[in-house]
Amino acid sequence: MKLKKLLCSLVAAGLAMSLVAGCGGEKKQEVVKIGFLAPLTGGNAALGIGLKNSAQLAVDTANASGKYPYKFELVAADDGGDPSTAVAAANKLIADKSIVAVAGHFNSGCALATVPVFHKNGCALVVASAIHPDITEKGYKEITRVMTHSNVQNEYAGERAAKEWGVKTLCLINDRTDYGKTNAEQFAEAAVKNGATVLSEDGIAIGQQDFSAVLTNIKAKNPDAIYFGGVATEAALIRRQMKDLQMDCLMFSDSGIISDTFNKIAGPAADGVIAFNIGKPLAELPGGKKFMEDYAKAKFAEPYENYGHFGYDAVGVIMDAVNRAKSTDRAKVIDALRATKGYQGVIGETTFDEKGQTQNKLITAFISEDGKWLSYEKADLQIVDKKIVKK
Amino acid sequence: MTGAVLTQQFFNALSLGVMYALIAVGFTLFFGVIEVVNFAHGEVFMLGAFAAMIASGVFVSCGLTQGSLLFILLILAVVIIIGALFGAVLEKYIVSPMRDAPDIMTLLITLGASIVVREAVMLFVPDGRNPQTFPVLVEMDTIHFGGALVKPETLLCIVLSIIMIAGMHRFIQNTTYGRYIRATAQDRGAAMMMGIDVKKIFIFTLIIGSILGSVAGLMNGMTYNIIKFNMGFAASIKGFAAAVVGGLGNIYGAIIGGLLLGFMEIFTVSFITDGSSYQDMISFIIVIICLVFRPAGLFGEKAYEKV
Repeated sequence: MKLKKLLCSLVAAGLAMSLVAGCGGEKKQEVVKIGFLAPLTGGNAALGIGLKNSAQLAVDTANASGKYPYKFELVAADDGGDPSTAVAAANKLIADKSIVAVAGHFNSGCALATVPVFHKNGCALVVASAIHPDITEKGYKEITRVMTHSNVQNEYAGERAAKEWGVKTLCLINDRTDYGKTNAEQFAEAAVKNGATVLSEDGIAIGQQDFSAVLTNIKAKNPDAIYFGGVATEAALIRRQMKDLQMDCLMFSDSGIISDTFNKIAGPAADGVIAFNIGKPLAELPGGKKFMEDYAKAKFAEPYENYGHFGYDAVGVIMDAVNRAKSTDRAKVIDALRATKGYQGVIGETTFDEKGQTQNKLITAFISEDGKWLSYEKADLQIVDKKIVKK
Repeated sequence: MTGAVLTQQFFNALSLGVMYALIAVGFTLFFGVIEVVNFAHGEVFMLGAFAAMIASGVFVSCGLTQGSLLFILLILAVVIIIGALFGAVLEKYIVSPMRDAPDIMTLLITLGASIVVREAVMLFVPDGRNPQTFPVLVEMDTIHFGGALVKPETLLCIVLSIIMIAGMHRFIQNTTYGRYIRATAQDRGAAMMMGIDVKKIFIFTLIIGSILGSVAGLMNGMTYNIIKFNMGFAASIKGFAAAVVGGLGNIYGAIIGGLLLGFMEIFTVSFITDGSSYQDMISFIIVIICLVFRPAGLFGEKAYEKV
C-alpha cells in the first residue's frame, strides 16, 4: 500500500515536472510584424528593392542576434513610387492589426501622401530616405525620419563655411527659382549665425549668359566667398566669368550643380568649387563596412543600391523601440520611437528632435577637382586661409 | 564706385551691346528691305556658334594650331558660309513662298522654322540637350585696361563687329548692289520698274543679315564659352527689341539700339541694388517708353503704316 502510494506520488511528480519542462521547452517567442513601404515596381524599383532587402537584412540580423525577446517579421508592400498607390498600400498595412509600425518610402511624394494617413490611424511611420522637409514639418507624433532632410544641407554648409573655413564676408547669387533662392537664403542664415556678413544679394535669370556686371560689382566688394543657389549651366557660366575677371574668392553652391555637366562646361575653371549634398558615401559611415559584408553574406539577388542602409536603420529603430516599450501596442511603440536617443545604426547615431526628425546631419561637401566631384575630405584641393590650394 | 569698376562695366556693356547691335541690324535689314519680321533670325545666331564649335574640332583634328590666325580666319569663313546658306535657304523656301500672304503668316512661318531648327540641333547634335563647351579660339593673356580686365576675345569681338558694320555700311552706300538694296527698301515698285531684280535683292539681304547673325553667334561663343541649342531665342528677343528702339528699317538706329540695350542692362546692374533681378524688366520698360514717345523708334524715318 505504502509502495503504491509512493509510486503514485512519484508518477504525479514526474508528470508535473514533465509538464512544466514541456511548457518551458515549447514556449514560443512573440512574433512582431513590421510593415515596410517602398517602390518595388516602376521607375524607382531598383532603389526600392534595395531598401526592402536591407530592411529584411535588419530583421534577420536582429532575430539571429538573440538580443530581443521577440521574433520580428517584415511585411513589405509596394508604394509604386506613386502617391495614390502609396496611400492604398499604407491603408493595407495599417488595417493589419498585427503590424506594430511601418518603415520605408523613397519618394517624397509618397511620404507626403501617407503621412496624414498614418497620423489619422495612430500608426508609427519611420521614413527611410525621402528628403522633403515638409514630411516631418507638421510634427505629428506618429512620424519620424532617419534621413537628413534637405534644409539641413544648407544649415550645415553655412555653418561649415563660416566656422571651419573662416568665411567672414559673403555675396549671394540665386537663380530666382524657389530652389535656388531657398538654398541661398538658408545658407546665408546659417553663415550669419556663425559670424559672417552678407555683402550683397543678386537674382539672375535662368538662361541668362552674361554675369559680368553682377560679378564686377561683387569683385569691387572683395568678399571671402560667393554662394550660388541654382543649377549647373548658370553656375558654370558664373564660374568661368569669375575666372575671366580674375576673382579668386571661394565659390559654394548646392546639390543642383553636382553633375558632370557642370564640370564639363566650366572646364578647368570648375576646380575648387564646393557644393553640398545630402547623404554620405556608405563606406564613410560608422556601420558601413559591416553592413556591406552582412549584405553580401545574405546573398540577395539585388544590390542594396544608394539608400539601402536607410531602410536598414529605419527598421532598426522600430525594433529598438518595440524592445524598449516592452509592448506591441501601437501607441506605446510610437512613444518609444519618439524617445529614441542615441540609437547606433549603420548611418551613425539616431536621435529624434521634437518634430521626429533625426538630428544626425549626413551631409557631404563635394569639391570639383580635375573634372570630378570628390568628397572634400578625399580631395587634393583644400581651403587654406580662405583660398583653394593643393595639399 | 571706383574708376576701375566703371571702366570694367563699360567694357562689359560694350561687348554685350555690339552683339545685340549685330543681331539688330539683321532684323532691321529684313524689315526695311523685305518687309518681314524674321523670327528665325535667332537660330542663325545659334547655328553660327555651333558651326564654329564643330569646325574648330574638325580643324584641330586636321592638325591646325588652335589660336593661329589661319585657324581663326577659317572658322570665320565657315561661320559666314553657314550664315549665308541659312539666309539663302530661308528666303527661297520659307519667306518667298509667303510673299503674297498676310504679314502674320510670314511671322508664323519663320517662328515655325525657328522651332524646327532649334529642336533639330537639340536632337541631332551629340548631347545636344545639354550646354556645350565652346573651344578657346584665341589663347592670349587678359588685357589690363585702366584697371579693367578685358578678355582678348572680347576685344576681338568688338573689333570684328566694328569691321563687319563698317564693311556693311560701305557695301550699302558705295556699291551697285548696295544701291539696289536701298532702292528696294525705299520703294519696291519703283525699283522693279527701274529693272532691279528684287527677288535677287531679297536673297541678298537675307544672306547679309544672316551672316551678321551667325558672326554674332560666333562672338557669343567666344565671349561666354558655353553654347546651347536654345540660345537663339533670348538673343532674338533682345536683337529685335534693339532694332525696334532704333527704328525698324534704320541700320544706324539698330546699332544705337543694340548699344543702348547693352549699356542699359549692365548699368542697371551696376547702379541699382540687386539690379540683376530687374535688368530685363528695366530694359524693356525703357523699350516701351521709347516706343510710346517715338512709335517709329529713335531714328525711325516714318511711322510705318501699311495700306
